Amino acid sequence: MVTQTLPPPLASWNPLPVESWDVDHARHLLRRAGWSAQPDQVDRAVDEGLRRTLDRLFPRRPVGWQPPSSVGELENEIRARFAELRSGPREDRQKVRNEIRQKSRAVTQKMALAWMQHAHDPQHSAFEKWVLFLQDIYVVGEQKVANAALLHRHQATLRRHALGPAPLLTKAVSRSPAMVIYLDLQGSRRAQPNENFARELFELFVLGEGNYSETDVKEAARAFVGYRQIEGEFRFLRRQADLGSKTVLSESGRLEGDDVIDIAYRQPAARSFLPAEMVRFYLTSDGLDDAALAPLANYWHAHDYNLRALLHRFFGSEMFYAESFRGNYIKSPIQFLLGLNQDLGTDPLPVPRFTLNNLRGMGQTLFNPPNVRGWVGGQAWINSTTLAARRNAVNLAINGPPNRILNADDQAAIEQAEAAGIGPFSPTAEHLEQWGDSDPAATARNAAMHLLPHPVPASGLNLITQLLRRGRRESSRQALQILLSVPDYNLC
Amino acid sequence: MSDLPTTRREFLHHSGAGIGLLAFSSFAPAFLVNSVRGSTPIPERDRSILVLVQLAGGNDGLNTVVPYTDDHYHRLRPNLGLKHLEVLPIDDHLALHPACGELHDLFHEGRLSVVQNVGYPNPNRSHFRSSEIWETASDANEFSATGWLGRYLDNTCDGTGMTDQPVALHVSPETPQAFNADKVHSVFGMRPNQGNTRRQRERRVDPMTIMAAFADDDDAVHPNQHFLQQTTMNALVTERKVMEVIGAYRAQATYPTSSFARSLHNVAAMIAAGFSTRVYFVSLGGFDTHANQADLHQRLLRTLSQGLAAFQNDLIAHGLQDQVLTATFSEFGRRPAENQSRGTDHGTAAPLFVMGSKLQATLVGRTPNLDLPEKQADLQHTTDFRSVYATLIDRWLEADADTVLGQKFDRLGFL
Repeated sequence: MVTQTLPPPLASWNPLPVESWDVDHARHLLRRAGWSAQPDQVDRAVDEGLRRTLDRLFPRRPVGWQPPSSVGELENEIRARFAELRSGPREDRQKVRNEIRQKSRAVTQKMALAWMQHAHDPQHSAFEKWVLFLQDIYVVGEQKVANAALLHRHQATLRRHALGPAPLLTKAVSRSPAMVIYLDLQGSRRAQPNENFARELFELFVLGEGNYSETDVKEAARAFVGYRQIEGEFRFLRRQADLGSKTVLSESGRLEGDDVIDIAYRQPAARSFLPAEMVRFYLTSDGLDDAALAPLANYWHAHDYNLRALLHRFFGSEMFYAESFRGNYIKSPIQFLLGLNQDLGTDPLPVPRFTLNNLRGMGQTLFNPPNVRGWVGGQAWINSTTLAARRNAVNLAINGPPNRILNADDQAAIEQAEAAGIGPFSPTAEHLEQWGDSDPAATARNAAMHLLPHPVPASGLNLITQLLRRGRRESSRQALQILLSVPDYNLC
Repeated sequence: MSDLPTTRREFLHHSGAGIGLLAFSSFAPAFLVNSVRGSTPIPERDRSILVLVQLAGGNDGLNTVVPYTDDHYHRLRPNLGLKHLEVLPIDDHLALHPACGELHDLFHEGRLSVVQNVGYPNPNRSHFRSSEIWETASDANEFSATGWLGRYLDNTCDGTGMTDQPVALHVSPETPQAFNADKVHSVFGMRPNQGNTRRQRERRVDPMTIMAAFADDDDAVHPNQHFLQQTTMNALVTERKVMEVIGAYRAQATYPTSSFARSLHNVAAMIAAGFSTRVYFVSLGGFDTHANQADLHQRLLRTLSQGLAAFQNDLIAHGLQDQVLTATFSEFGRRPAENQSRGTDHGTAAPLFVMGSKLQATLVGRTPNLDLPEKQADLQHTTDFRSVYATLIDRWLEADADTVLGQKFDRLGFL
């Protein structure tokens, strides 16, 4: 691990002065808040100014998303099959559960691809990345939940509350059937409360480690007994609940689940917890210390923990645009892939065994983070294996689907997508033309400037220029491939 | 100059004229900088090496090491049960599957140990979760971000040791969780068939040339930029080296044509080339035999048996057998009772194999009890898998097993 430290940024969390806003700032914003900086989007942001751009990226109302129809179909099927089986023998139930698990996995894959198609549209990128961030905080995973419909419902819950007050979001999450399963509220009993959810509520959702005691966890767990999901719907079973007096974080009373969440948000640690996570997700994987975070934390607290207010201040601050944070963040696999598609003007290939396996090879599986802590990120994304997968992704995006190894299922998926107006899956000449210039050296400079976060050394530009001079399709393709394969392309 | 790794000369050669500047820039690969500083320890060529073989999907232990004289076994498996006459006995009660002829020979030569009925308390039947438990060596209710081999590396390597020879190498499309570590180690991954065909001479720009042309020679580059350049560079250098070694390797045993055997062949090539790599990870998949298991399982075990035997014979022919130990693992065994589809469902404990020339005992642990409380019951493990790891870490890799595993586990008698 390289441990060279940066000089502390001199910037503050105050709003960026209007006159500072320029092309470089706009690129930085679009790359960090979304997946990449496309020339037309950069121009638009510069024209509109920072405030109006943020209003557009994070609007008043959350943006909805319609999942593929197979999600709803699966939900209906699960209901029907379990209704049928309620009185059946145990062996049958296990068998049905296994069948549903397998079906659910396939539907989750379809859902992941459909989400990628939606999220890679520059109109949706910033909001969907924010939803992904919330999924990385309020983690549920396909492996344990084993029900694509509930995973979708969980994401829809995050989406619905993504721009409102955080306590409402947390309360909604505590009622998400997928969460009830994932953190074992389902099996929590008055005689033996399961502490999983209560612990993560404090540690991973609201406060962070060291800001609560084991007793607080035990007491809080009692308040969530009776939270159940029954056939995919949340139910609070009052008769199962523990309605006795509890003491959580020094507050006592006949506390219920929502009370515990309100108490958690009354702790000073709640002010900086989510801002600190945002800093690590959007700004620097090194994080910032409490002192540096305090102004943002206090601002958020003063704005009733409103998430939209937090987003606007975060992305609108001097701090976010500080020189020392530019072009040095390692892209997550999903950002790498969606950004790559945006850079090439292509759509993600709707074939699970290429696109999703490739993503997994890079270390990320949508709707299934490795564990309750979510993805680690930063340098942990990068090793020889994941770098090879990133190279493969570039090859696939430049050359399109390798026809000779597509099977009937793959071809059907591609045809279906094309019929729905999705595509192309490899860059068109028109798209690449946008960097074109009569002088190959100028073309090389243009392309490098749009694709890479740092100026390219003269030797690199020369190499690209030489390839472009050959004027052959294959050489130009190789030039593009080189620009997308250099180490800096992994940074934003 | 003469004691520098060959790759440095190669690197100089491939990078052309820019090298004079490059060699001292922040971008130069770590091994190169280390060589220049003269601080790279010379690889110790007689260090012990561990090859871990994953049987992915959950191998059916009871049809691998068969309790062929146990009536319960035949009662639980009316269709899938293997008959007395076909199995390969290792003693009066246990036999290997008929497809394991080579392993059977190795057993009788004392080069194969069977560790019986290995598992862990509160078994999890999800492939993903149980693999995670095996690879991180955690308790069933505990999540660990690091793998057991990663922690071994954390404990024995300083973590900045990027060389042209990785400390750990896996032949699988994803990095095994077992390799996850707190420190950064030079871990290299390759595909099973990589190096199978001679590299096409394309009119491609050499990756080294690209790296050299795009190297940012500014000292003020951000740590992440530096890290990415270095990791990419190290991967390229290692890949080149690995491909050369595999291309030049002359195996002294006949490997079957499976990609599993090909993977082991490549591992043998790197061991024979004197790589300082301590840990190799190879995967054989397809053991999730829910339906029509008999033929499928037979093919898988034949692939395993033939592949492992070829590998061992190759090591022997090269005089490397004392340096290498090979161990198998699988995320779980399968349920003792066969299911309605002539297959078996996810179970719990299973035996595993350890192969090498330094084994102290060939049959370790207790045979599973098949007198089950109910027909669908699972086996109760009698040996914790972390006892196997503790033995491997302690007596083979010669590291502090208790620190690596975070708990104390009994050592087993196979070493």
